[in-house]
Amino acid sequence: MYSKFEDLKIAGIAAAVSSKWDSLLEISDEDETIVRKFIKKTGVEGRYSASPRQCTSDFCYAAAEKLLTEKQIDRSKIGVLVFVTQTSDYGIPATGCVLQHRLGLNKSCIAFDVNLGCSGFTYGVEIAASLLAHSETEYALLLAGDTSAREMSQKRRNKVSHSASMLFGDSGTATLIQKGNGSDIVVSSHSDGSGYKAIISPYRSWRNPDCPEGVLPGTQMDDIAVFNFATTETPAQLNEYMERMGTTADNYDCLVLHQANMMIMNRIAKKTGFTSDKMLVSMNKFGNTSSSSIPITLVHHYGEQQEDKEINALCCGFGVGLSWSTVALKLNVNDILPLVHTDEYFQDGYNAEDLEQ
Amino acid sequence: MDMQEKIALLEETLELDEGTLTAETVLADVDEYDSMAKLSLIVMMDDEFGVKLTGDVIKSFVTVGDILNLMK
Repeated sequence: MYSKFEDLKIAGIAAAVSSKWDSLLEISDEDETIVRKFIKKTGVEGRYSASPRQCTSDFCYAAAEKLLTEKQIDRSKIGVLVFVTQTSDYGIPATGCVLQHRLGLNKSCIAFDVNLGCSGFTYGVEIAASLLAHSETEYALLLAGDTSAREMSQKRRNKVSHSASMLFGDSGTATLIQKGNGSDIVVSSHSDGSGYKAIISPYRSWRNPDCPEGVLPGTQMDDIAVFNFATTETPAQLNEYMERMGTTADNYDCLVLHQANMMIMNRIAKKTGFTSDKMLVSMNKFGNTSSSSIPITLVHHYGEQQEDKEINALCCGFGVGLSWSTVALKLNVNDILPLVHTDEYFQDGYNAEDLEQ
Repeated sequence: MDMQEKIALLEETLELDEGTLTAETVLADVDEYDSMAKLSLIVMMDDEFGVKLTGDVIKSFVTVGDILNLMK
């Protein structure tokens, strides 16, 4: 599906991680030779990990606070909040509603969660832009992130493959979309549920409330199925998008892919005509950060630059669902904020350990 | 590409020392033939031979010879 939104702009992007960065060589319990090979193939040298009580929403909250404060945004004019995550705070309510409250947004703001992973940012742009375009409000706030590494640290991850145990990092991001003063935002999104088993967390939800004995709960990933999907469907979508827009790789300042692993990313760049210097990389430092990966990559590369310059970034997210989505974003470098570090968590967040005391 | 060249290419792809593999080598006995190596194999087969390897095809491989049969 193609969607075109006229006269919208990305007014700002921010990303937050903890202050705790771990080198894979130091934290992995795998053999060192295996870890070094993993680093070489995937590009992940280490990642930031959440503290035991930190949730995705805490990172998104910190990123949003930084963004709204820095850009001096009138919070009463934010009418849309979309929280994209696979690691929400509670079964219910939607964490988006809690974030509406924490961020001091108006009750007239629509707020909800979207359960998507690696395609979540680009899907989220489409959802938030769509709601904004048809509303009377001025801003939409897209919050996207995951704490997939935290799942592993709690020994709940299925360690069937190396990628499942070492690949992920924890983070949250905030992206503000504004009406007016902008150009068109065109998004192409696809889904293919026939591949739902390729990345799946099948237990401890309503189809399988219990986990069978001897089976580790958590996310299971079919590496080969994901690799074949990502290196086939994603370049096809990107090439079709550029053809439809009448563009080639030369028309973009950078290609910002979901940071899946370097083998997949290099393959997609090669098939879409992007040189390696135009393909931005952040997973060496952050790991695979799921729906945060595209904004966090922009923050990694442009966040420290203070320059009144517009860039045209071709962004593509792909993964669990299966789902994949492409959007070209025109951004002013000044609107991409430096990385935020936070170790704080929502102290009023129904923390069971606190309630027991 | 003759058989020796194909085996050498396979050893390079799987990051093995020269002379490690023969057509009879059982893949389950090769420690380095892990999930990451299988992804490298997919890339090599696509780039060098235009062969798209699915998960089912990879699962069907028993010996190095089974891979060599598709390297054409």
